[in-house]
Amino acid sequence: MMEVPSSGTVYSGEELGRSLEGSSGKVFSRKARLSFYNRTFKIVCIASAVFVCLILFSILFMMGRTGILTFETVSFKTFFFSTDWVPENDQFGAFIFIFGTLALTLLTMIISVPLSVIIAIFLSEMTPSWLKNALRPILDLLVGIPSVVYGFLGMTVLIPMLRSVTGTNMGDGILAAAIVLTIMVLPTISRITDDSIVAVPKKFRDASYALGSTRFQTIVRVVIPAAKSGIMYAVILGMARAIGETMAVVMVIGNTPQLANALFKPTSVLTSNIVMQISNVEFDSTWNYALYMMGFLLLIISLIMIVAVRLIQGRGVKQ
Amino acid sequence: MKSKWVRNVGLAVMAISLSFGSVSAVSASSKLSGRIVVNGSSALLPLTLQAANEFKKLNPKVKISASAAGSVTGPQAVRKGIADIGACDWDASTAVPGFSAFTGQVANKVAVEPFAAVANSSSGVSDLSTSQLQGIFSGKITNWKDVGGKDQDIVVVNRAFGSGTRVNFQLKALMGTDFMTKGSNYKEVKSSGDMKTAIETTPGAIGYIDLVYVSGSKMQAVKINHIAPTAANVINGSYKVWSYGYYMTKGKPTGAVKAFIDYIQSTKFQEGSLKKLKFIPLSAMK
Repeated sequence: MMEVPSSGTVYSGEELGRSLEGSSGKVFSRKARLSFYNRTFKIVCIASAVFVCLILFSILFMMGRTGILTFETVSFKTFFFSTDWVPENDQFGAFIFIFGTLALTLLTMIISVPLSVIIAIFLSEMTPSWLKNALRPILDLLVGIPSVVYGFLGMTVLIPMLRSVTGTNMGDGILAAAIVLTIMVLPTISRITDDSIVAVPKKFRDASYALGSTRFQTIVRVVIPAAKSGIMYAVILGMARAIGETMAVVMVIGNTPQLANALFKPTSVLTSNIVMQISNVEFDSTWNYALYMMGFLLLIISLIMIVAVRLIQGRGVKQ
Repeated sequence: MKSKWVRNVGLAVMAISLSFGSVSAVSASSKLSGRIVVNGSSALLPLTLQAANEFKKLNPKVKISASAAGSVTGPQAVRKGIADIGACDWDASTAVPGFSAFTGQVANKVAVEPFAAVANSSSGVSDLSTSQLQGIFSGKITNWKDVGGKDQDIVVVNRAFGSGTRVNFQLKALMGTDFMTKGSNYKEVKSSGDMKTAIETTPGAIGYIDLVYVSGSKMQAVKINHIAPTAANVINGSYKVWSYGYYMTKGKPTGAVKAFIDYIQSTKFQEGSLKKLKFIPLSAMK
């Protein structure tokens, strides 16, 4: 564009190149060494990525391959639609557990989603910043509590409480499990929702207030719809955690293979049934295969969830 | 440069695998050495750990590792070659309800384990007959007042299928009759510890557990046919709900495994540490 005052600047580029090629007394030139390091680093990165994929696929393959063996002796229809799970007598109907898992997850979401969205709104829109700074780390810490602690509290505190409130004999069942799971997924959902609400641009709120809306109208009509994809993301993550949770559920659900057609009836879900029985079955039996098949089903369900999360994320970026 | 690095790693891997291989390959010489892996019953685990500690002091070259995942995993692990000793609450070389015999395995008795039917203290019942127990655990008797207790629903707590305690209780207290498997007053728990918590916190609950777990005021061990579950009654033969704990081995035990089992069966261990852990010594049953 403009005349360069001296020609020295033109030189410097070449000198830089020369220094790359210049030998520093070693066998390999600097350039060759650099490109070797770069290539090695690239290969290590790619190898790690391939390794992770390999592990995932071999897990999927192993579970699937072992699980499929179930259908040598049990018909597809019986496994998925029969409610008779008496493995001692060769009856392998997993419908109870599939239904239980879905019902438990649904119930958990019904309780936890409204609660956590309200918590998130409170956290992001209504709290003074000193309280925010105190509450957010607390929620983050709650995520890290081991699930067995939640399970034990559920077993020793929640269930006797449910028993005395409702007058049932046991209190174990799908409602107890849903309450425990709700407490477990609450911090996950509310923190991610909180983040996505904070990410809504200030100008949206300003515009809404300028049009004369109240705070409530702004939050419900503007902020939440704008943060919708983030909230969906949070819900699905919470759902994935609820579906896969095992220890806490085992301790409060009662572990009885019967259909969860009442809130206070001891029942069983995929995870709890697997963990109750897997250590006690023989290696090469249909029972073992059926449990693997149930694990495979869980894997498939969580894979679907992850795909859903990616899709929703993708949409969010486009907006 | 790269090939050298690869070679080094290769050498290291080889060295590690060789050292592991050599440890398991070494058999008993004049000075005992080797590696013993124990898997199986959780009821026998405290005994195994205690014995392993003492045995390692006498034979520092022997490595013993013990884990527990449930009775039936013991003989299974032995069959698969994962473990040298499979701890099991029943003689797995014979068939029991639900489990076929593990052929080619030898059962070595190591201890006597008594089991007890336990009820939540609120039930008001301290003595049950065999037929009453059968009725309760099969779901035919559903209220404590039918067996002389309070007007309160019975909650049956069962161990999951495959538990050694369950196998023994079914065989010896219920005379082989079936458990109920469904109902809104029925649940299953995973371990002896869970059983204890469930019985203690659920009014009207009944279950069964190793005698050593029975303690506190919230649960009581029920007399069966007027006979209290005590070590003395097991030894004099009047209380029938007990079983030997077994160490299953592939064929006759040899080398370090044999020495370890011999140590557990020795009078010194049986009368000492084993009694302290509230198991009953084998010699008492003769």
